[in-house]
Order: sequence, then C-alpha cells, then structure tokens
Amino acid sequence: MVIGFLFALGPLGIELSVIVLLFTSMAWAIFFGVIGAIRGIPTNVAESSKSFGLTGWRYIRHVVLPAITPAVISGANLAWCDGWFFMIAAEYIQYQGNVVSPPSGGLGYLLAKTAYDLKDMNLAIVLLVFITFIVVYFNTLTWHKLMERASTGTFKPVFRMDLSGVGKLGVARAGSWLHFGRLHWPKSFSIAAQRLQKYSRIEKVIALVLASTTLLLVLYRFFGQLPTAEMINQGFHQPPAAELVGLPWLILFTMGRLSIAYGISLAAAITMGVLAAEHRRFAAIFYPLYDIGQGVPILALFPVLSLGLTGLLGDPRIALELTCIIMLVLDMIWYMFLNVVSAVKNIPTEINEVGRLFGFKGLKRITHLVVPSILPAIVTGSILSWGTGWNTIIFAEYLPSTEPTIPPVSVPGIGSLLDKAGYEFGNTVVLIFMLGVIAVIVLSMEGLVWRRLLRRFEKYHVEV
Amino acid sequence: MSVIEVENITKTFTSEKTKIVVLDNVSFSVGKEDFLCIVGPSGCGKSTLLRMIAGLEKYDSGRILFNGQLITKPSPKIAMVFQLFGLLPWKTALENVEVPLEVLGLVKQSRVHIAEEYLQMVGLEGFGNTYPHDLSGGMKQRVGIARALALKPEVLLMDEPFSSLDELTAKTLRELVLNIWQNPTLPTNTFIMVSHNVEEAVFMADRVIVMTPRPAKIIGEVKVSIPRPRSKYLRDKEYFKYVDEVVSMLEKGKAITRDTSPLSLTAERASRS
Repeated sequence: MVIGFLFALGPLGIELSVIVLLFTSMAWAIFFGVIGAIRGIPTNVAESSKSFGLTGWRYIRHVVLPAITPAVISGANLAWCDGWFFMIAAEYIQYQGNVVSPPSGGLGYLLAKTAYDLKDMNLAIVLLVFITFIVVYFNTLTWHKLMERASTGTFKPVFRMDLSGVGKLGVARAGSWLHFGRLHWPKSFSIAAQRLQKYSRIEKVIALVLASTTLLLVLYRFFGQLPTAEMINQGFHQPPAAELVGLPWLILFTMGRLSIAYGISLAAAITMGVLAAEHRRFAAIFYPLYDIGQGVPILALFPVLSLGLTGLLGDPRIALELTCIIMLVLDMIWYMFLNVVSAVKNIPTEINEVGRLFGFKGLKRITHLVVPSILPAIVTGSILSWGTGWNTIIFAEYLPSTEPTIPPVSVPGIGSLLDKAGYEFGNTVVLIFMLGVIAVIVLSMEGLVWRRLLRRFEKYHVEV
Repeated sequence: MSVIEVENITKTFTSEKTKIVVLDNVSFSVGKEDFLCIVGPSGCGKSTLLRMIAGLEKYDSGRILFNGQLITKPSPKIAMVFQLFGLLPWKTALENVEVPLEVLGLVKQSRVHIAEEYLQMVGLEGFGNTYPHDLSGGMKQRVGIARALALKPEVLLMDEPFSSLDELTAKTLRELVLNIWQNPTLPTNTFIMVSHNVEEAVFMADRVIVMTPRPAKIIGEVKVSIPRPRSKYLRDKEYFKYVDEVVSMLEKGKAITRDTSPLSLTAERASRS
C-alpha cells in the first residue's frame, strides 16, 4: 500500500517507502509496550503518589517515565529485530515481476541480489554471517545492557502476557496477515493483538479504526475505485484462479508444513527451555544460541538455505520443501523457548517446595509439576509461534526468480498461491481472496483450538 | 523424649556482598503431643526455621534431629501446611491429596480411598473433583491439611496457615486443626506452627516461642496452661495475661535488636528487595 503511494515519487519514493515500511513495523512494538506499561502501573502506586501531591508533570516524571522506560527499551529492541526481519524484504521489492530496490542499496539488497540473482553461495553465507553478527552484536552490547539497567524498579515483566481471552480483536489479528507481494505487515502486529485484549474499550476502538483505515487504503490502492462484480468475476477467471480448485489440498499441505514445524519446535523448545531454566550449564549454551537464533534475519536465511539445499539435494522442489520447514522451525522455536524459560523460572516457590517435600523426582517431577505449570505459557508461545509461522510460510513456499529463463520454484500451498497471485500474475482478486482464506483459517484455529486451550488451562494459574 | 530437637542452629546468607545473619544460635525441642507455636516479627526467619525442620532448607551450623535422627532431606514423617496452600492447580482436590501417596508407592485404589477419607475428615465431602481454582481460600487450606495428614506424619508443620484467610474462616480452621491434634486415633500429634498473630498462638499452643527480629534469636518462651477447649476462655483475664506476656517479649526483642545490631536495618532492606 505504502509502496503504491510512494512509487509515484520515483527513486526517492522507494527510499521513503522502505523507511515508512520499517517504521510501521517498528512503531507498533513500542506503542503497545508503552500503553501496556502505563496500564501496568499499580493502583496503589498511582494513588499514593497522587496523595503526596505528585500530579501533572511531576507524576509523569516520577511515575510514568520510569514505568515506561523498560517498555520503550525492550519495545525498541523488538522493533529493531523486526526491522532486521523486514530489511531483506523491504530493500528488495518485487512488484509485478520487476525488482525494485532503493537506489542507495543496502545489506538486505546485497544479500538478496547475491542469492537470487548471482546465486553465489559463498558470498551469501558471508553476508548472512555478517548481518547476524551485527544483529547479535547490537543485541548483546546495547540492548541487553540497557534492558538490564532499566529493568530494576519495574512493576512487572513487560512482555509477560495475560492469557485470558486472547485475540478478541479479530480485526487486528487479521490485519497481521495482510501480505502484498513481498511486503507484509509486521510480526509485531500479532504480538500487539495479543496484548490488545488487556486494553480498554477506547484503545480497542483506536486499534480498530487503524486496522479498518489500513484495509480501506489497501482496497483503494488496488482498485482505485470500488470493486465491481465484473472485476471480481474477471479476477476469478484469470490465472492462477484455476489452482483454486485444489484449495482444500493446498490448505492441507500448508497446514501440514506448519504442523510439522510446530511439532519439532515444540519438542525442542520445551526440552531446551526446561534445561536452560533449571541448569546453569545448559543456560550457558542455550541463551547465546537464543541470541543468535533470534538475531538471524529469517528472510535473509531463506535464499541462502534454499540455494545451499538445492546444491546439496539436486531437486529444487525437495530443497524448497525442506527449506520451508527449517525456516519455520527456526522462526517458531524462539517464542516458545522464551515462554518456557520464563514460565519454569516463575513456578512459585511453594509449588517447588511441595514437590520436594513429597519427594517428586526426575520424570515424576517433570510430568506432575513442571509441564502442567508451564502449559499456559506453552499455549501463549504456540499462538505467537503460529502467528509468526503464518508470516514466514508465505515467503517460504515460493522462491522467486529474477531471470526470465528460470521459472520460480514453489511448493504447493496457500502461501505460494498467494505469492503467485500477488506478483507473478498480479491478480488482485485472487490475492485478496487468499488473504481471506488465511484469515478464516487463523481465526477458526483461534476459536477452535487456542481459545479453548487457554480457557482450559486458565485454572492452572497458581495464585500467589 | 523429644520428637524434634533443634540445636544451635545458625544461618547466614549473603545478599549483595553483605552477610546477613538470619538465625543466630537457635535451640529448642518439641516433645510428643506438643503444640508449639513460633511467634516473631515478619521476616525474622521463623519460616526459614520451619523449612529447615521440613528438610527443605540448609543451615550453616548446629543440627536438627527427628526422633534422634539427623534431618537431611524431606520425609513423609514430617508434613507441612503452607501459607498459600501450595496446591497443584492442575489437579483436583482429591488428586492433590493423592499425589504424595503416589510418590510413596501406593496403588490407585488405596490412594483414592485414603484421600477420600481425609477429605471427609476436613469437611470436604463431595468436593473431591473440584479444582483449587473453584475452591474458596478456606477450602483450599482444608485440602492442604488433608494432603499433609494423609501421609500419616508424626509431625505437622504449619507456616502461617491461616494468615491468608479471613478471620471467620481462620477461626473455624483453627478449631479443625485443634480437633485433629487432639484426636487420639490419628498418628499426627506433634504440631509446630509459625505465626505472627499472638492471639492465635496463645489460643492454640501449649508453648509459645518468641523470636527477635533479624538476626533471629529466641528471646523467651511462654507456657500456656489455659484448659482446653479454650474457646470459652477467650474473654478471660488469664488469656489476655498470656497475650500481654508474649507481646511484651516481642517488644523487648525489638528494642534489643535496635540497640545492639546496626544490621537490622540492612536486614530489613534486604528482606524487602
């Protein structure tokens, strides 16, 4: 959408659009973090400071600012991570078959060009390592220290999410699945949706208005006018509309990939998370791994991985299938890992003492005590993981090609169909239809699976 | 012979490079069929002491004996009731009572049988399949008591068991606990309770041990000889005499620590953080 408006401005427009794109993905995390932090100020703190005459600016300076500092910092950190995530996409935009990139180039552009156009594996790996290094360096040197310094004196962990009634705001959630060509809306959007349910009606209305404005602008951009029945009909008769016949199968394939990746990351995240939370030695291994894993821009990994695997396996389709699942695992695992670690660390002392008093050991302790107490956190982690998984699979099922002689490689699935509709054929009707399909799947999974699980595990919360 | 023997227990811990003495040379013993109550200001280390008897916490020097044996790890012979109940939220009331029995290696059938029996004893008949989430605070603590008793322990430790309940519920549960203590058919007849409620302590215990603020020492002991059941003596002069005696000891303890130990402030600060 943004691109559409800014294309008109020429090269400068592209540069601007990249910045706008990065901004939209970065602003959300901070925005919602700050709102959450302000709402997290306990009533007793607010009341007591008012009773001591801290009002107006003084209240902001002594209470509000210290309260939001950690949120701003960790939100900013999240935003940077998101920014890295989108860099590749944003600097290398495909628009109806043409590659568009900002005139000034950039790391993302360079990497995409190396991998897609030059197919130079070695250079791509070097670039990837370089980018990862920069991200991890930033993370460990700047953000961690800032966060450590800021986290003293907060009222509660900033990113701990409330579990009940996640995703009441279907619109905001659906908004996160809006993908256009190689551009899509921030990962942070789904996180924002998670947080939204904690907010007041006014805040929800604001979010709703933002979401619907976005939707309207998108529609305006693509149609330039109100869609007519004829246009829609026409859209359904142009390629790749023919593939819609196999839609149930495509859904099955995509869901299959997501489920396999989810299963792998679930098992790995629980094992790693419990070990890291309970043993220093494992923590010393897994925390840096987490830093690096989080740090690798997943989209930057895509061209490198698929190129490497194609070279290894020969068949580009099998390679893409494998790439797809590896990427999904690498993307899904970290939310779950983080949630598991913090949940294990947050098991109340009394529960642990009860376990020791009654002689729970080894496996019995894990099954009776640890796993049940982290189940709610696993569900929240799963929701986030699936959210980011949907984001990723739309990229991962389709490997574009810039040379006319080589056809793009894709594996059958709804993600790849969406990609084809978006920038192979420029079929807006099918594109929007596919978005609808994805939104329906996501929302029904929400209603049928996650919400039920959350409700069921609600009583697992230990009241302290 | 005493059941529990606490001898010269000292415990320190280091927080932010400051060494803080939590318990300073604490000794006492608890005889069979004793009801002992440990009273002290909050954060004085009385809960830590209780956890040492339970085998949950280590100490620097001294020793704690149970029937002449050194306590090194938790044992089913010494059970504990927690301030915040310590129930597993993912298990029903019945399952919560069952779980420690499972660890003991009992088969399902006898586990359920015992658990039902004890739930009935604490007045929770018909609530076996309810999750802690749906139970009131008082009911949760009843489950906690049933779970501890189901192990048929000799000693029951209670860590401020009524302090998170409202007064009416607490009153009912105090009576329940006293009835259990006096019930000759139950093997559990040595009770140690930690409390900061002086009236509660005088109402329930045979002996009240009074501790000073950190570093905690025993400043004195009050033997309560009001006949039982004590509920009818609650307005008597004698009852208030005991209460006043304990309170004045607490005050004295506070004054002593203020005068002699500059550490108390640091300790207070540390306990807060």
